[in-house]
Amino acid sequence: MFLAFKEMARAKVRFALLVAAIALLVFLILFQQSLQNGLITGFIGAIREQSAPVLVYSVDGQRVIQGSVITPPLEELVRTAPGAGEVGRIGQGTFTGVPSGNGDGETFDVTVIGYELASDGEGIGAPSEVIDGRLPAGDGEAVVSDADVPLGFGIGDTVTLQPGGTTIEIVGVAANAQLNVSPTLFASYDTYVDAVKSVNPDAGDPLPNVLGVIPADGFSPAEAVVSVNDQSLDLDALTRDDAAAETPGVAQVQQSFNIIFLLYGLVVPCVTGLFFLIVTFQKANSLTLLRAIGAPAGRLVTSLLIQVVVIIGAGLLIGTLLYFPVSQQALGGVALSFETGAVVFWSVLLLTLGVLSSLVAARRVLRIDPIEATTGQGVGA
Amino acid sequence: MKLALVELRRRPGRFATATVILTLIAILLMFLGSLLDGLIASSTGAIRAQDADAIVYSDTAQASFVRSRIEPDVRAAVEAVDGVTQVGGIGNVQLGARIPGNGPRDLAGVALFGYEIAPSDVPAPPPDGQAWADEVLKADGVEEGMTIELGPARSPIEIVGFVSDTSFNGQGSLWASPETWREVLSANRPDAQLGPDVWQGLVVRGDGDDLPARIDAATDGATETFTVSGAIDAIPGVSEQSATFNQIIGVTIAIALVVIGLFFALLTVERTSLYGVLKALGAKSATIFSGLVVQAIAVTAIASLVAGALVVVLDLLIPPGSIPLLVTPTRLVTSTLLLVIAAVLGCAFSLRRVLRIDPASAIGTTS
Amino acid sequence: MNTTATTAPVDTALRMSDVRKVYTMGDGSEVVALDHATLTLGSDEIVALVGPSGSGKTTLCSIAGGILSATEGRIVVGGEDISDHDAKELTKFRQSMVGFVFQSVNLVPFLNARENLLVVDELGKRTGAPARARADQLLEELGLADRAKNLPSQLSGGQRQRVAIGRALMNDPALVLFDEPTSALDTKLGEQVMELIQTEMKSRGTAAIVVTHDERITHFCDRSVHIIDGRLEA
Repeated sequence: MFLAFKEMARAKVRFALLVAAIALLVFLILFQQSLQNGLITGFIGAIREQSAPVLVYSVDGQRVIQGSVITPPLEELVRTAPGAGEVGRIGQGTFTGVPSGNGDGETFDVTVIGYELASDGEGIGAPSEVIDGRLPAGDGEAVVSDADVPLGFGIGDTVTLQPGGTTIEIVGVAANAQLNVSPTLFASYDTYVDAVKSVNPDAGDPLPNVLGVIPADGFSPAEAVVSVNDQSLDLDALTRDDAAAETPGVAQVQQSFNIIFLLYGLVVPCVTGLFFLIVTFQKANSLTLLRAIGAPAGRLVTSLLIQVVVIIGAGLLIGTLLYFPVSQQALGGVALSFETGAVVFWSVLLLTLGVLSSLVAARRVLRIDPIEATTGQGVGA
Repeated sequence: MKLALVELRRRPGRFATATVILTLIAILLMFLGSLLDGLIASSTGAIRAQDADAIVYSDTAQASFVRSRIEPDVRAAVEAVDGVTQVGGIGNVQLGARIPGNGPRDLAGVALFGYEIAPSDVPAPPPDGQAWADEVLKADGVEEGMTIELGPARSPIEIVGFVSDTSFNGQGSLWASPETWREVLSANRPDAQLGPDVWQGLVVRGDGDDLPARIDAATDGATETFTVSGAIDAIPGVSEQSATFNQIIGVTIAIALVVIGLFFALLTVERTSLYGVLKALGAKSATIFSGLVVQAIAVTAIASLVAGALVVVLDLLIPPGSIPLLVTPTRLVTSTLLLVIAAVLGCAFSLRRVLRIDPASAIGTTS
Repeated sequence: MNTTATTAPVDTALRMSDVRKVYTMGDGSEVVALDHATLTLGSDEIVALVGPSGSGKTTLCSIAGGILSATEGRIVVGGEDISDHDAKELTKFRQSMVGFVFQSVNLVPFLNARENLLVVDELGKRTGAPARARADQLLEELGLADRAKNLPSQLSGGQRQRVAIGRALMNDPALVLFDEPTSALDTKLGEQVMELIQTEMKSRGTAAIVVTHDERITHFCDRSVHIIDGRLEA
């Protein structure tokens, strides 16, 4: 213990540089972890948070709600599928909207998701849970995603869609329910149809984009999916989780980030290992001397490992402290959040990898022969 | 100088770890950069390809074709603007395409454009029912002469040839006559169909830096007009993506700087006695320091070279369509240059240490 | 470069007059490492500088070699007065006027024997071909021609010592400084090295100071100078 800390106190700059490098890496890893989760939640959160256990797309939509169109014959096939219980129409469009709560009068790309409203405000495709306010009770009302509230989409605010001027009043808030990383409104199906027609007078009656399906009694969601897909090659039914995960872009985002994380995971132990190897190499003389005066090799290795743990621990701590304020921000419409799980995961992983990589240096310490102290060899040796 | 290079050649092992770490960092940089380039290229190709001086959307469209409507009177107003020499309508619809030979559920995403003024490297509109296809669609099995079916209405389109770098929103594009586009649009997306002579956007050729402003003034604010580069930045998400990636790239370079600084600082400490001897023999601090810089540049260059090769291999290994990676020589070279600059700056950490080395240390103790 | 008038006769390799070196310690107290040292070496004279450790012999050697500046006194080496040289001028002086053989030999570990000689040219004048010819000639004369391509780690202790001597002679110096050349060697090898030093210096007419605390080797030198507590005693 004594040796480990004395040495770090003597070479502050050197150890501080390493801590800084690790802290920056930790910060980057955690930041990107938040970014990844924030991006994916903002991208498909609405699919996860809506109430229909099964969503049916047309194959043409390629699992993009807005790209999918359910023609009347297809809708009939879904309704008659043995595994399908209740079926509701869901429409989705992106509009240019101005929320009354935004002081600067900013315009936003607003996603409107329309679902068939039951008398109680519930309906297939409604938000599963409202954390503030209530579900829409009729046309012209909507629930908004929580990330959009600070942008001026609070309860009581109205959103005006342009052109056409359709207004929608916000009556409730749902958590993590964005779609396409834009302000997202859950409204009645008729509100959605009105919105489409108001911005494009040439539009015909919009067809539903997807159908929300509650499995018939005795059918699990997975069984209902099979039952619906058996009706036609043009139907593409997915469970709620699959619909979220299979949305184009989600897998790419995850793969890209995974490659980035893998590289970071390699860089940290390499930097740590290199550092301690060089430090060990450089103080070989004094280590030899310590061995000669009777220090057990185990003690010297322990001292080395204490340093590794302290350095990486400090890097993790500083990196996490840097990450905390950033994780409370929104970045270009993506709401970030503090990922405790990621902090724990990366802390354990980086500590383990760091200790493993410093074992190379430890091996070097163990190989030191105390006799070398008596045969002082020059640089040329 | 020569000494530094000889050391690199004779003792490569000493530099191996640093080279490996720098290689990883270089891969990270090049991968991030190529990913950014790929994302942007695949969402902006169709706009970048426009051989125009201005792109016109309706005022509330937020630079999105599907939300934009240009009525005939607005088009007439644009055509009447001073300096405008040519105006062409443009429209787009994104649909799933059924390609012969692929499974019934295996559709390719396509962006069908109807156009009047041909973009660069895209020929004039083909006869109705035909289209030029972007070559990225070859990965989905599209071939010249093939007829593919678009959307739920299975609108048939015959592919008459290929064009390149015209992707839009991450999808391969098809370029067809305005009539073909209108037919496909109303058959498949009745909610988005447009009246005759109504366009989603206008492509304008004309003179003057203030052309976009003059167009918007002439239409009395009914339009929002961009230059081509402005239209690229205005595509939703493009500028946010660039900003986020560039921040990450910046921090990664800072890490490279710290790693190089750390490595050469340690190397200097380790070689203090050797440098003492060299100084006693008449070496200037500048000579020793420039040796360090040469080594840092060499190590970084080797790391970048290896990383560049690996990123190119990675690009070949990644199945088309999974990760939108665009590996360009420009990106690889800029990444390398940035790393080399970081390497030189990182070396500066060791400058003070080199200056402080006392030649007297070579001879016993000085007291 | 040097505007100081040179007064030493050309047949003198080194003339130190009343040289003092005082170190100021952290607490403000002063330690005199060299006290009014006066020493003159003829152009081919070999002098043994003998003294216990801490006596100031290394300081004297460092000052004579232009590694360290004196606090006061005059130092003229090979006709060049270096008393008032700044660090830059001293660097240039070391490149051209003196040769060093360090205690632990201190060859550059990643350079072979020939390259260790060429380092002197690389760091100094960069004459190229003439330097290569001189390195080959020196290696030949030192009996190392067949070892030219060997790294220090592939040479014996004696061979390394000879490479170090070759390196010290590369710039055709007026004065060569040997710092404890035999301290790491056994008696027999030590005597061989001293014989070599004697032969090489005398055949070239080059002056040398051999710093040592080993009285057994002083008979290879023309004379011995003792140093105790910074004072020279003939």
